[in-house]
Amino acid sequence: MSNNNLQKKEEGGSKAFIQKFHAVAVVAIIVLVGFFVYTNAITENSKYPFKLGLDLAGGSHLVYEADVSKIAPAEVADLMNVLRDVIERRVNIFGVSEPIVQVERSSFVSENTIERLVVELPGVTDVATAVEEIGKTPLLEFRLIDQEALAQQATVEVDGVPVEESVLEEDFDPFIDTGLTGRYLASAALEFAGGSGGQLSNEPIVSIVFNAEGGDLFETITREHTGENLAIFLDGEMISSPRINEAIVGGRAVISGGFTPDEARALAQNLNFGALPVPIELASTQTVGASLGEGVLNKGMKAGVIGLGLVILFMMLWYRLPGLVAGVSLIGYVAIMLALFTVIPVTLTAAGLAGLVLSLGMAVDANVLVFERMKEEYRAGKNSHVAAREGFKRAWSAIRDGNITSLLSAVILFWFGTSIVKGFALVFGLGVVVSMISALLVTRTLLLALPESHITKKTILSKLYNSGVNTK
Amino acid sequence: MPFITHRKIFLGIAVAVVLGAGIIIGTLGLNLGIDFTGGSLTEVSYAERPSKEGLSAELDQLGLGGYSLRETIDDTGRDGYILRTRDLTEDERVSVESAVLASGEESLITRFTSIGPVIGQELKDKALWAIVAVSLIIILYVAFVFAGVSYPVGSWVYGGITILALLHDVLVPTAAMALMGYFMGVEADVLFIMALLAVLGYSVNDTIVVFDRVRENLIKHRQEKKTKVVSTDGVEREEITYILQKPFAEIVGMSVSQTLMRSINTSVTTLVALTALYFVGGEVTQTFSLVLIVGVLAGTYSSICIANPLLVFIAERKVDKEVVSK
Repeated sequence: MSNNNLQKKEEGGSKAFIQKFHAVAVVAIIVLVGFFVYTNAITENSKYPFKLGLDLAGGSHLVYEADVSKIAPAEVADLMNVLRDVIERRVNIFGVSEPIVQVERSSFVSENTIERLVVELPGVTDVATAVEEIGKTPLLEFRLIDQEALAQQATVEVDGVPVEESVLEEDFDPFIDTGLTGRYLASAALEFAGGSGGQLSNEPIVSIVFNAEGGDLFETITREHTGENLAIFLDGEMISSPRINEAIVGGRAVISGGFTPDEARALAQNLNFGALPVPIELASTQTVGASLGEGVLNKGMKAGVIGLGLVILFMMLWYRLPGLVAGVSLIGYVAIMLALFTVIPVTLTAAGLAGLVLSLGMAVDANVLVFERMKEEYRAGKNSHVAAREGFKRAWSAIRDGNITSLLSAVILFWFGTSIVKGFALVFGLGVVVSMISALLVTRTLLLALPESHITKKTILSKLYNSGVNTK
Repeated sequence: MPFITHRKIFLGIAVAVVLGAGIIIGTLGLNLGIDFTGGSLTEVSYAERPSKEGLSAELDQLGLGGYSLRETIDDTGRDGYILRTRDLTEDERVSVESAVLASGEESLITRFTSIGPVIGQELKDKALWAIVAVSLIIILYVAFVFAGVSYPVGSWVYGGITILALLHDVLVPTAAMALMGYFMGVEADVLFIMALLAVLGYSVNDTIVVFDRVRENLIKHRQEKKTKVVSTDGVEREEITYILQKPFAEIVGMSVSQTLMRSINTSVTTLVALTALYFVGGEVTQTFSLVLIVGVLAGTYSSICIANPLLVFIAERKVDKEVVSK
């Protein structure tokens, strides 16, 4: 009999030890996640930085509507992609860090499908310049190659003088403007080179026809520079530099540069449409100054910290010891959420931040449900551990049904929403899942690791398990 | 439980509130922001705010049509104005910009938004669809999980009541928004829609928690009676009927009182977080938090004083009918 009891006690002891170990592990994980988030936030160029939306970081959000009325429906998707590539190339020249250029189609709920191009330029608040740069016609230029400069460069390299070599290379610009540009273009077309003269057969090329003025200019250039190379530049990038074999009369030229058929077709389209495959029009602009964005961010964070403090305070006042546990679990919730924001990454906007603050209040709901259940069991005379287990078991169906409906709403929102609504839906959905995990794992583990208590034992601990104004 | 015994009073209040909200929304309408109508918004801040008259005089010369100019203190603490106009062309934008910048010292354009009318309409459609789709999914889900307790009221009733409660919870903050729009010029923007959707989620969650307790108590307090029934084509079936050991009204009342503390506490924690957001969170999300505060209050009222009284109300009407048909 006594032996049996001893064994039971030992078992109870090792069980308690394991529970305490779990509790320490859970707290350690929360601290680690918190540390991860903290270092990400303060380190510059960290691997997982917080991604701030334009309304917090400052920048411009431009939406263009594409006029696809004159394009066969089957080609629309392809041309929109070409458009995106062209605009992306221009934006990159612009020197913006991490620009986003994407095609967006108005969803099926509206009557007409409208093809849009969304351009996000973080840090750019000078819309006028941005709009001008993006809307400009693409630049096709013909430049001569300066043989003398080229020769000089070659000499330097042959001599193997290492000093200032890099400087030389950087400043090295052997190209001479000819004044001949895409402005003089009449038309461009995709063709395939014939297999004559030992050339590769069927190479896709772009044939261009100059207008009268351009034709004359082209003729002069080729006559005066026969034997030299003429480089062809598109938006500042050299795509080919064929040799001028003879003076070309009639204003026709061919661009070949090892294109794939698709590239050649895109280039021909680019040139024909004044570089843009589809005419576009600016439909909406949104610009937020960097200092204002920072102000919004700071206030949002402040609200978050105060909200977190107040929620924890209320939980501790009302639920006492379990309330404190809920507070730890809520801090765990915030740490995990922020860590997910950096890892996924989720772009934080003012709306997302507000959603996060709101979720602080809602995230403790699962805890509240459990604690209320637990209290019933505890007052009925069960010890605190049994009451906690019962509480979780009985509250589960309510937590499950409530969270699944919330999650379904989040999914629908994400599916329907425009980008700003999508961000909110993502924060909302993540919040539902993470709050459930933090309640079921963190709160449960910590509650079971606390010393056992019974309502009939009138100790301080037993009172700490009660709640509200009840002092029984 | 007073909420159940005096259910007619609480339901009456709810009907009056919903009707009132409907009338307010119907007559005043929402003051839709440029997110929905299309238009331009320019926010400018100065070292010292120039007079409204002076700035208006400048703007009048530009031929912008109707515009509104509102004094504001932005989130960096600088004084300025928010100018709302119709959708501006690039040239008009430039002239507006130079006009407002020239009006004061250290002027700075901190925000410019211009939205075409098509995008605005599309957003309106999307918002409406999202709300309808979410509601439908919720009815289906609730009916599904309550399928086990279709006596004395069908599981569809739970789903239906959830939606009615939800309607109440969405109409009340919308009416509040209409009032704010009418008297204070507050505009309903995308954030307003998000606030409504969050209210929707909160409301459903709140109602489901109480219904969950009703479900549990129903199962606990019912007796199963199996009877063999031979149908007309000679197939023998087992029919299960239930007898409740307590009146339905009492079971529901018990459930409400058992979940009352939870309903109140969750709304307190949510309201606490929202209040922090309202007072500290800055101008951008102020309307958002206010709409949510109203919505959460409405949601708490509806889960306690509408959903369950309505459940009893419907159950009794059903029983009355059965008695009459016998």
